[in-house]
Amino acid sequence: MAEVHVIGQIVGASGFPDHSLFCKWGINTGGAWKILAGLREGQTQVDNPQNHEAAFFGHPIDIHFATKGIQGWPRIHFQVWHQDQFGRNELYGYGFCHIPTSPGTHEIDCPTWRPTGSFMETVSQHFLGGGPQLKNPDLIYSGADRYRLHTIAMGKVHLRLGVILRNFDKFGIEC
Amino acid sequence: MASSSVFLLMVSGQIETAEFPEYDNIYCRYCFTHGPDWLITSGLEEGITQITKKSRDERQMFVWNFPLDVTFKSTNCYGWPQIVVHAYGLDSFGTDVVRGYGVTHVPITPGRHTIRVPMFVPESSSLLQKVTSWFLGRRPEYVDPRVVAQGEGREVTRVKSQGFLTISFNVLMKDMKKLGYDIQPSDVLNPIMPENVGMATTGMSEA
Repeated sequence: MAEVHVIGQIVGASGFPDHSLFCKWGINTGGAWKILAGLREGQTQVDNPQNHEAAFFGHPIDIHFATKGIQGWPRIHFQVWHQDQFGRNELYGYGFCHIPTSPGTHEIDCPTWRPTGSFMETVSQHFLGGGPQLKNPDLIYSGADRYRLHTIAMGKVHLRLGVILRNFDKFGIEC
Repeated sequence: MASSSVFLLMVSGQIETAEFPEYDNIYCRYCFTHGPDWLITSGLEEGITQITKKSRDERQMFVWNFPLDVTFKSTNCYGWPQIVVHAYGLDSFGTDVVRGYGVTHVPITPGRHTIRVPMFVPESSSLLQKVTSWFLGRRPEYVDPRVVAQGEGREVTRVKSQGFLTISFNVLMKDMKKLGYDIQPSDVLNPIMPENVGMATTGMSEA
């Protein structure tokens, strides 16, 4: 079987309305893929930066995949949350990106979005906080049922991912 | 037999500079962490730099110019080495206070890489601890700095990021391609393919 190593870091997040952030992440693959070692999902620390425009997590990722096919190439998805001074959490954004298919080091900026409600919901969110969330988080990385969903742009999640492929050329995969 | 499936990773470089706008008199410790299949064959796993003042100009920069030189060997890319850096400074009473923890992987591609590592300090988990740490002048610290290189159990920590550290790496590998690993993209016209690609994993041709 061919193998893929994903080695890197969730570096941080920027462009959000406030910077006291943390991030939940997970990896989703097709059926032919198997994780031999490493964590499939996790949550970063909460960063409350002193004087920066961005939050930094420095969250290590090290996953070893084995695969029987290239369909369903792994992708990583995020939920960025904001934590206020009372420890209350509020959703700030969803996003996903594919693990790069070419070996080497990649700097990735993953854009995020969040659902918006009706006008009245937006007003009440402005005063009270909270806001709509996805009932089914699969929507973060699927394109099937996105229509009719109203969203708004949020910030970006910054990743530094290294990809090492093994034995792909033995099976004729050009990478 | 063991030697046929081993690859080497040589890392040299330096802890170059740091930016901590609010502090002065800082030194830095580093240690490498790695997975269970990895071994250091030469070089130092841990080190400690000199204490430096920041430059008295508009750059406000700390310079260490501290050498790193270490060679790893492994049979598996999982657990790729990471460098954990933790900076300490002397406060006005002359005691050591932690100014930041940071972590980054050793680059996985050969060549020269410069990485700017964000540095953060853990925060007290309760108001009472915040007050007592202010009176005693002791900031919260990690018992083992290597926890910043782990992905598990981080959701319970709250940190404050302050400052950056710049590390440059020069990376070389041996026998990665022989073991079937691709670490750089090849193009179709010039595939990187020595004759013995995949020999170590088929198990049929040798043994």
